[in-house]
Amino acid sequence: MREIKIVSKNFSVKDSHLLKTALKNGAYESIKEAFSKTPDEIIDIITQSKLRGKGGGGAYTGKKWCLMPKNPEKSFLVVNCDESEPGTFKDRYIISKDPHLLIEGIIISAYAIRAHDVYIYIRGEYYQFQKILQNAINEAYEKEIIGEKVMGHPYRIDITIHRGAGAYICGEKSALLESLEGKRGHPRLKPHSPQPEYLFGYPTVVNNVETIATVPYIIKNSAKGYLRYGTQNSPGTFLFALSGHINNPGVYECEYGVSMMEYIESFGGGIKGGKKLKAVIPGGASTPVLTADEVKKARLDYDSLKKFGSSLGTGGMIVMDEDTSMVKALKNLLDFYARESCGQCTPCREGTGWVRDIVASILNKEATMQDIKTLLDVSDTMNGKTICVFAPAVSGVINAFVNKFEDEFKSFLKSVK
Amino acid sequence: MSEKLVTVKINDEEIKVKEGELLIKLLKKEHMEVPYFCYHDALGADGNCRMCMVEIEGKKRPQIACDTPVKEGMVVKTNSDMIKKVRKNILELELINHPIDCPVCDQAGECRLQDYYMDYGVYEGRIDKAKKVHLQKHLDIGNNVILDQERCVLCQRCVRFTDNITKTHELGVIGRGNHSRISTMPGKKLNNPYAMNIVDLCPVGALTNKDFRFKQRVWFLKSTPAICHGCAKGCNIYIDHNKEKYKDDTIYRIRARVNHDINGYFICDEGRMSYKELGINRQYNALLNSKTIDFGDVSKEFEKIIKETKGDILILADANLYLEELEAIKEFAKTLNAAVCSPLKIYIDESFGDDWLKSKNRAANAKGIQKLNIPQTYEDIEKLELVINFNHPAFKNFLTPKSISFQTHKEFEADLILPIAAFSETEGTLINEDNITQFSQRAIHSKQKIPNIIEWIEMLKDKK
Repeated sequence: MREIKIVSKNFSVKDSHLLKTALKNGAYESIKEAFSKTPDEIIDIITQSKLRGKGGGGAYTGKKWCLMPKNPEKSFLVVNCDESEPGTFKDRYIISKDPHLLIEGIIISAYAIRAHDVYIYIRGEYYQFQKILQNAINEAYEKEIIGEKVMGHPYRIDITIHRGAGAYICGEKSALLESLEGKRGHPRLKPHSPQPEYLFGYPTVVNNVETIATVPYIIKNSAKGYLRYGTQNSPGTFLFALSGHINNPGVYECEYGVSMMEYIESFGGGIKGGKKLKAVIPGGASTPVLTADEVKKARLDYDSLKKFGSSLGTGGMIVMDEDTSMVKALKNLLDFYARESCGQCTPCREGTGWVRDIVASILNKEATMQDIKTLLDVSDTMNGKTICVFAPAVSGVINAFVNKFEDEFKSFLKSVK
Repeated sequence: MSEKLVTVKINDEEIKVKEGELLIKLLKKEHMEVPYFCYHDALGADGNCRMCMVEIEGKKRPQIACDTPVKEGMVVKTNSDMIKKVRKNILELELINHPIDCPVCDQAGECRLQDYYMDYGVYEGRIDKAKKVHLQKHLDIGNNVILDQERCVLCQRCVRFTDNITKTHELGVIGRGNHSRISTMPGKKLNNPYAMNIVDLCPVGALTNKDFRFKQRVWFLKSTPAICHGCAKGCNIYIDHNKEKYKDDTIYRIRARVNHDINGYFICDEGRMSYKELGINRQYNALLNSKTIDFGDVSKEFEKIIKETKGDILILADANLYLEELEAIKEFAKTLNAAVCSPLKIYIDESFGDDWLKSKNRAANAKGIQKLNIPQTYEDIEKLELVINFNHPAFKNFLTPKSISFQTHKEFEADLILPIAAFSETEGTLINEDNITQFSQRAIHSKQKIPNIIEWIEMLKDKK
């Protein structure tokens, strides 16, 4: 299997984060092309390319951009770099290895949605990466790539980095916007009809770092060029990542639709210590786990994983070998969710703590079959009854773990006399 | 919201309603069951408690009624088995980290959590595996408000009140997950003149009134609708009082009563605490030259003073008295051939007024004085000999040879001092500063049988 390097083409270049190197490798080449088009033409190209959001949701980027008003009094582009999903570490590669690609994407995207002010919301823990990105932005300002004019084109673009305080929920776009507005990061109620997000009351697009970083390629190579890769519903490439019990963990860009097992074998170099595969969490911790059998059949695209009741998420695969205790693994995940629930909706705030405690009791061999029933019932209460998808995701995680590895959970139960 | 009427079906009952109306408002209006913590008419929807979920035909998942605008043909179920289970399960979750200390909680009896548990609750506990999170139990967060973080259901009504209504932003949520809790900023306290409204807003026992807590069980209290006498705004209130065995009828608290034309859902803290002065330093006895006399002897003494008076008589009438009382005073003045006046300037308190509920005019019935054409100053008086005061604060400025004072509190010195009922002990009509006429009911029936002004005048007018 070969890597297809669209976003990651400069990752292995030395000093690729510096403007000097980046310019040598073709940075900002698409700007001229972009400004020869109208904003609507760019939105059309992105729509045709069927570019899907790469932050986990997989929404069509073109659709999002189409919702923006044509003559806004003011509008914003917000780049979501809050990458906090466990098992996901692709965006940090982009901002540390090729920040100018992101800036290039930002310029085109902002121009397309008629925004002049861009915020990059970056998770607080990414302090080192943030410094690299800020240096790149400073260089771009110095060389007048951004600022009052974009490389001579009369279009103002200002980019501001905002560091989050380290809350997982601030990766949810409406919580991110609340946080950016200086409030507590609580997800907002969802609108009843399709409409853009709002920041400080102005229409706003929120996109993932990788989504924005893909835009320059599509402008340079046209929608068709991007559609060459991937499947019909999942076109293009994705920065899939591997972590866990794997020989070569890392980020490897690849087109959608390839076999998951093949990806793990060829890029990951197989399971550590030659052990057998037990399970894979396919796209960041919040996606339901797949068993080894399912992994063998699964392909890395949205449709295939949906068939297995899971989702592609952020593409960050967590690989688990045969010695992994699934109860321990679930407990570990639930510790995370109980700590990170924002505390807004009752089912999530109280439910995450409760399911964590139940799984802890299973792990301590203090639980009975009744507790597993309670666990699944609480999980059901958490599903579909909250403002955001945090609790439903946790519910999906619990159900997959307990249902797919039922025997293992039962083996932990207190022996009934 | 459009004016278009649409038909919706709720539990098989067809209802016509304005398109876009919030479903929760409709359910409340139609008295259909809809439990909720976080929604409030004054604060709007926040959608965090998830109690008001209903089943809407065509939607896969239950929807929150507080964020659902009504549409033509909408079919809603509020009592299906699925909804009952959702309510039960969410209540169960609310109780995981709740101390369940109803027997010692002041909110018991008017607690939403308690009420809903009785309606939809689970009666078999299965939360034994959940460890309770312990938080702070009695935080004095200022302005007479005590916070118990463990009892809180995090509906955030109090946070939204300080954010959106008073815009003072003292409160916020800190911590995450089940460690989330309401708090002020470190070292800061509530600091706004309306802060105690959050006690009324709190659906559970998390926020309690430092002044009221541990004094009474709420189910013993009788609530009498009345009008606040703190200023000319005329805020609608409930006087909550109780007469315990062997004790006197006592006011324990004042709460806001909804009136959309005047105070909405809220009152100021000063008004809320104003009941305190109705119980202290009260004038209970009739005094003649500082000596107590029987109420039966009053008319004789009163007559004597009037007969001895050769010069002019002036009557001062307080602008906080009810219209009925003021009319009686006016009539009484005629029979005594006395002048009546009520200086209003003395009631102006610039430091009290704001642009919401607190009026700088601190006379509850100043408009009533004007309506009855009671002058603010007196004319045509050559030789003022006697002043008869009906609780007017300006009385202290009058130095006349003789004086009679009808007063609620031990405030003034006079030759003849007569006690009168305070506003809570009698009833009558007030006109507020916006010309709204309102009736205030009598709350207190005290063991001390203090006559009100009308009763006094009835007693005295034949004896002049």
